[in-house]
Order: sequence, then structure tokens, then C-alpha cells
Amino acid sequence: MSPSVFTFNDAKDKFTAATRSALDSKTSKPLITTFSQLPGNEAEKKTTLDQALRGVLEAEIVNQKANCDDFLALIDLSIDSVTEGICSATTPFLLLGDVLDCLPLDQCDKIFTFVEENVATWKSNTFYSAGKNYLLRMCNDLLRRLSKSQNTVFCGRIQLFLARLFPLSEKSGLNLQSQFNLDNITVFNKNEQESTLGQKHVEDKEEGMEVEEGEMGDEDEPAPCSIPIDYNLYRKFWTLQDYFRNPVQCYDKFLWMTFLKYSDETLAVFKSYKLDDTQASKRKLEELRTAGGEHVYFAKFLTSEKLMDLQLSDSNFRRHILVQYLILFQYLKGQVKFKSSSCVLNDDQCLWMEETSKQVYQLLRETPPDGDKFAAMVEHILNTEENWNSWKNEGCPSFVKEKPVDAKPIRPARKRLAPEDFLGRGPDRKIFMGNDELTRLWNLNPDNMEACKSDSREFMPSLEEFFEEAIEQADPANMVEDEYKVVRNSNYGWRALRLLSRRSPHFFQPTNQQFKSLADYLESMVIKLAKELPKDIPSEEIKTGEEDDDNSDNLLKETDSPGMQNKLVSNQQMDEVAAKLGSQWKTLATQLEMKAAEIREIETDSEDTDMQAKLLLVSWQDREGAQATVENLVSALNAAGFPKIAEALTET
Amino acid sequence: MGPIELLHMSVFSQSFSPCGRFLAASNNYGEIAIFSLSSSLSPEATGVNQKPILTFTAHEGPIFALLSTDTHLLSAGNGEISAWSWGELAKQVREQSRDNSLAVGGGDNNIHVMDLETGVFKSVLQGHTDYIHCLSMREREGELLSGGEDGAVRIWGERLDYCWNAVIECGRPQYGKWISCLTTDSDWMLCGGGPSLSLWHLRSLSPTSIFPLSGCQRQAMFYQDLILAVGEGHFLSHCLLGGEVKSLIPCSPPSLNTLALNTNSTEHRVLTVGGSSDQIDVFTNLSYKAFSLSF
Repeated sequence: MSPSVFTFNDAKDKFTAATRSALDSKTSKPLITTFSQLPGNEAEKKTTLDQALRGVLEAEIVNQKANCDDFLALIDLSIDSVTEGICSATTPFLLLGDVLDCLPLDQCDKIFTFVEENVATWKSNTFYSAGKNYLLRMCNDLLRRLSKSQNTVFCGRIQLFLARLFPLSEKSGLNLQSQFNLDNITVFNKNEQESTLGQKHVEDKEEGMEVEEGEMGDEDEPAPCSIPIDYNLYRKFWTLQDYFRNPVQCYDKFLWMTFLKYSDETLAVFKSYKLDDTQASKRKLEELRTAGGEHVYFAKFLTSEKLMDLQLSDSNFRRHILVQYLILFQYLKGQVKFKSSSCVLNDDQCLWMEETSKQVYQLLRETPPDGDKFAAMVEHILNTEENWNSWKNEGCPSFVKEKPVDAKPIRPARKRLAPEDFLGRGPDRKIFMGNDELTRLWNLNPDNMEACKSDSREFMPSLEEFFEEAIEQADPANMVEDEYKVVRNSNYGWRALRLLSRRSPHFFQPTNQQFKSLADYLESMVIKLAKELPKDIPSEEIKTGEEDDDNSDNLLKETDSPGMQNKLVSNQQMDEVAAKLGSQWKTLATQLEMKAAEIREIETDSEDTDMQAKLLLVSWQDREGAQATVENLVSALNAAGFPKIAEALTET
Repeated sequence: MGPIELLHMSVFSQSFSPCGRFLAASNNYGEIAIFSLSSSLSPEATGVNQKPILTFTAHEGPIFALLSTDTHLLSAGNGEISAWSWGELAKQVREQSRDNSLAVGGGDNNIHVMDLETGVFKSVLQGHTDYIHCLSMREREGELLSGGEDGAVRIWGERLDYCWNAVIECGRPQYGKWISCLTTDSDWMLCGGGPSLSLWHLRSLSPTSIFPLSGCQRQAMFYQDLILAVGEGHFLSHCLLGGEVKSLIPCSPPSLNTLALNTNSTEHRVLTVGGSSDQIDVFTNLSYKAFSLSF
């Protein structure tokens, strides 16, 4: 053999031998060395290796003593070869296809496990484009061989594998046109001749899955039906399945009426036939759960008449039907790109659907066990479906975010003006906060420091106010007993000390007196204060007309009647005044120096004039704080021209 | 029967034929209608099958009670009792002769027992102070229970003759003290009417449970482990022996007078209720109404 010419058979033999030794030694070194030693160009060598591998596999399969592990070892080897670059990328898939075609189903299971485990490999760049069609064809072949009802788990695994392998937007996996499985027909007995009850066991196997033959198998005589059957309900109930199978029928007027009638009847039966959460079924559920996971069995509907009663009392069955309704309603209401334009519902139909959905959810909630949770879950799932629906309508855009091509840092565009743009720019140096409410609040007093100094923020009481009571009690003429004196209250005492430290110079004067307790100390202080502040002794009986007003914004024009100087306006008083004011509150508003903005606000807050008046008084009180006294209100009322109300107020 | 009459019709009582294939119902116009159950339960039933196959005027006034014996249908109205032969009515005859007597509770406060063969009254049971509403047989012991307007339930037997007032235990004074329904299961007795429907244990003569049903119950019966009751209110109540009301099944007549379960035949084992309407509701499954027969 001339070493510089490539001969196919020769190369193939060499590869075959190398493969076998590679399998034995469990590395791909022999293959690599053979590859590099052989003459010829890459392509030729690669294809030869492919053939060689396939040949080896064939020999292994034919040799019946080989088992799956050997096949898998060979396929592993081929994957390694691809990675090394000595074999073409389609070879592992071809090998897999060959193996699966030649093996019985139980062994295919093991091979498929291998396929599942290597999903990551298949998805990698080297393999994906070459192999995806092969894999798809392979999986479809397997699915064709398997029975959905007997090898459910295996079928499920294959489907899951396909779902993992292909991206979400892979068009071949999507039901883009939202087509329905029209072949899913539910067969039931429409008239008596077809009833299988009482007939001999017929060799009618195609119908075997759908219609239960009952226990009639071996009897030769027709047995009469032994329980009364509600044929009416039976027929109507199963006719509904046809509408669920092909929802487009609902858009036809005549069929819709039938659907409506039958649905109403069925739902009425569900409503009147309430299921209980019986103890027996609870126990069974517990058993099932402990037996290793919830066992859910999705059978095709069994439609024998005799089962109707049992089915009606089964909560799972009921849930199936109710969920079917909800899915149907979602389709009918939803926007699907591929629905033809004649598929619209009119208002009546929409209304009926709304009411019936509410009814269905109510029934779901009433169906034990855990009806509420189930209903909530179904609702949630259907809402999620809306997202998928809109995704399909947009043509299934990919979920992978594309990296931006140019990564120039862009100045983020401002949605709102920067604060420096609008602060302090308003007319009259009014500061805009960007929001009306904030602006109003801020502009009550734009300068924070000034605001803090304003009188209305003065919360510390004056000495005379705080010690009023104590002074009165200290007066021996009042004969207040020691233990009832307010100075004995420790809370009061503490606050008194604080106040004294802030307001009174006596606090800091050294004294020689020894005080046994705080109360004694306070008593002496109180006496001192009483001497110092004679004009503020609050004996309510003696009153003079004028009083020193701290409130600069109240207008006092008349003398006040005695007895209500410093009392704050109570809620009840405000209610009475508001009731009397009624719609004329605006006049008082100007007297109380309410700003126009506040007046407007009160107007918008409530329609009722009494309420508006009340709001006015409340906002006045808020603003004045400790100065919202009866006296001030009375003077405002008098000034506004409501002498009668003022009088009434003073009398209370 | 014009539409006005239909509107005012009330079904007062029902009875199934001995073969179980027919239902007889009586109304306030004195008519008895016979319905064929086999045709109305069949797969091809149409509206026609829900009408009676035969209607005849039995009495001048309303017929309050119907009872079936093995061969005859007895109907009772104001003052007279008639016997109709099922054989003539429905062309189906099952021959069986058994000597039984009929106990009749009357408006004269007495119970008259008469022999069916001869039609002669055998004896009179006195003791109620007001007229008698309902009677029930306690088969095992061969005793008769009677309940009446006076609120007392009496047990009449060969030798014994108790009486006690059901009123005191479960009375509802706003409805009165009359007992309108009575049924017994040998050990247990249900009675209701003015007082609430209650379940009594007959050996100890004490009430075991009182059912919280509003309205007065007009008829009640035991069925397997449930108690079925109908009365004021358009529903059939299912109650459990413990005293809870399990469910209320809505029916078409606004107020129900009568309840009957066809135990004579398994294939036509239906429950029928009738009341103040011309419709009789038929239930194949006790929990929902299947269809209605109409007069």
C-alpha cells in the first residue's frame, strides 16, 4: 500500500480495529493516533471514521450478547471523537438512531436515559445545528411506537426532552394557529338502540376505549337495567363535550342556544347536588398520599349511563367539567390572531358568559376537598395563559435578550425635570415641588427654619398653663388633700421638672432647703410661681373683659362674655356651629383667614354643605392649634355676621 | 282543565302501584291521575310521557290521602273512602290476597279499623281530643301510631295504649302544636308539624334529635341512613340521624305536601314530590330533580 494514497477500505479497516481497541481501553487515543497516521485529507478521513463506527455498532447489535452499555460506550466514543475533531458531528445521532431502531422498547428506555442526560452536550454549539433534526426525527419515531396510555411516563419524558432541547420559540413545536384536536370525540348513547346495556358483547374493539361495556362480558342474555336512569340529563351532559372539543361551534347562533340550555341545566344539577367532604374519602386521600405522591389518573371520559350517578357524586369529575368550562370561556373571550373575523360574541352572550363563570367559580369553591385553593389556583393558571396567548399573537418573539451591539454609555434621558430646574422658579418665588399637593404644603412656609420657629409649632406649655392646676391645689383655701395633689403624680412631676428647667429661673437658684421628695420640691416651686404670676391664676369666676392675646391673627372686636376664654372649641361645639352655618360657611371662612386654596379644597372634599362647614372649622382648628379657642371662634362668627350662632356658642 | 285551574292545583298525596310501574296522584279538585313511570323513565321519554295516562274524578272534594294495597287503590276525601281496583285502572293485575285491615283516622277524633275484605268496621280507637292528621304502622310490634291536631302522639297496640305530648319537647309555639307527619321505623319515630321535626327513640320515648328546619314539615320518611322531609318551602331536605340538615334540594312547587318513594320496583325506584302546583317532581338520583310530571 502506498502510504500517500488514501484507500477507503484500508482506512476503514484500520479505523475499525482502532475503535475496538479504543473501546477496550476506554479512551479515544487509538482513534486519534490512527487518524493522524493515515494519509488523505480531513474530509475523507472523517467520513471513513463515520462509516467505521457505524459498522462497529452494527456488528455489536447483531451480536446478541451485547448489551446497552456497550452501545452507549461506543456512542460516547463517537462524541469524544467529534470533540477531538476527527469525526463528523452527525455521527453520534446516526448511531443513536440506529440503536433505537434496532432495539425493543424496554432497552430503548435505557438508551433514552443516556440521551436525556446529555442534553447539555446536544445543546452545545458543535452538536446543535447538526443534530437537532435527527433528534427530532428520532423522538417522533419513538413516540409513534409507544402507546400514550400504557407508556405514559416514557412519552412524557420524550416530550420533556424535546421541550428542553429546543428553544421556546421553535416554531415546529408550537400550535401557532391555535387549532383544536378535533378527533377527540366523546361517544355516548344517543338513542336506545345504541345502548350497550343489555346487549351481547360485540367484537367492536374501536369503541372499546370510549364506552364501557360493563360487566356484561360473558352473559349471553340481555340483562335489564336495574336502576332508573335519567336519560335526559345523560344526553345533555355528554353533548356538552362536543362543544368543548370544538369551541368554534359556539359562534354559531343555533348551536350556541343549545349549548346555553344544556349548560344551564347541568350547572343547576351541580348546584343542587352538593358534595360533601365525607370522612371516607379523606382517609383514602391520606392513603394515596402516603403511598408516594398524588396519583392522578387522566382517563378519557367513560360515558355509560349507569355511571352517571357515580360520576355526579365524584368531586374530581366535577372539577374536570368545571375547568373545561373555564377554559372554553377563556378561549371565547380571548383575542387570538387566527380566529376568523366572524368569531365574535354579542353582548348577551358575553353577559351570559360572565354570569356563568362566576357560577362556575362558586361551584369550584364549594367542591371539596380544598375547593377554595383549587379555584384560586385555576384562576391563577388561566391568568398566566393570557400571557402565553399574547406571546403567540405577537409571533412568538424569542425570550433571549440580545446584547446591544454598541455599548456606548448613553446619558439616561430624564423623564422628569431635574429638581434644580423647577425649584424656586414659580411666580412670586413660589417653589414648585413637581406635584400640586406637595407644592401647596411646601409653600405654607418655604423656609424650613422659619417654619420651625413659628408660633404654631410651640408645643411647650407656658408655666402658667402647666402649673395652673397645681397652683390651685396649693391654695389652702381649696383644701385639697395631699394625696390628691397632682404634684404627687410622678409623670406630672417629671414633666414639671423639664418645664421648669426650660422656663423658670428658679430652677437654677441654689437653695438650702432639703426636700424629702420630688413632690415636696414641686410644691415649693409651685408656691413660688404662684407668687410670681398672679395675674394668671385661673380662677374661672373672676374674669375681666380683655385678655392678653398671643394670637396675632384673630380679630377681637367685642367683649367676650365671661367664662370661656381659654377653652378650646370642642368637637360637639364645632358640630353645632357647622350645622347652623350650613351653606354660608364661606363667609366665615374669610373671617377665619382661610386661604383660597384651602377653601377650594374643602369644596371638592365634600358635597354636603354641613360637612363642608365642619371641614372648615376643623382646618381652622388644625391651623390654630392651642389658639383655637371658643372666644376666637365667637369673635370670628360675630365679625362674619352670625351673631345668633355666636350667642349659641357662648351659651354652651 | 284550564290554565287558571292548573295554577290553583295542589297535589295532596301520591301512591305507587303494587307493581311499581305506575304512580297515582291526587289533587284538590278531587281527581286522581295515573302516570306511567316506565314510559317516562325510558330513554325516549318526551313531553307526552310526562302527562298522565289516565285521569278521573274520584271525589267531589279534595282527596287528601291515597294508599295502595296489593290490589286496590284507596282514596279518601271529605267523608268517604273509595277503593279502586288497580287492575281496572291499569290493566295490570297481580293477584295476591292478604287479609289486612285498614286503619282510618278521622275528623271525629277517632281511629276506625276496618276489614278490607268485607268493608266492615272492626273497632274504634278513641283517645285523641282533636282530629287526627296522620297514622303510621309499627310493623314489628303490630302497633299503630297516630298524631293529631291536639299535639299528642299515641301508640295503640293490643294491650297498651300510651300517649304522650310531643309538643313539650320540641314545640314551636308560633306554629301551633299540631302533628302533621308521622313515620316510624320500628325503633325510631319521626314526627313533625307545628313543632319542629324531631326524631324520637321509641323504647325510651324521648327525643334524640331535633332538626333545624324552618317551616312545618308535612311529610317525612326514613330512607337508608337519611331522613327525607318535605314541607313549607320549595325544597326537599335531606337530614342525618344526628340532627344536621345535610342538604336542601330545590324543587318546582313552592310548597310541598307529599313525598313518596317507590320501593316496589328497583328499576323504577324514584322519589316523587308534589305540592302546591300542578307539577310533580321526579328524582332518579336523590340529589337533583330529573324531570316533572304534570297533571
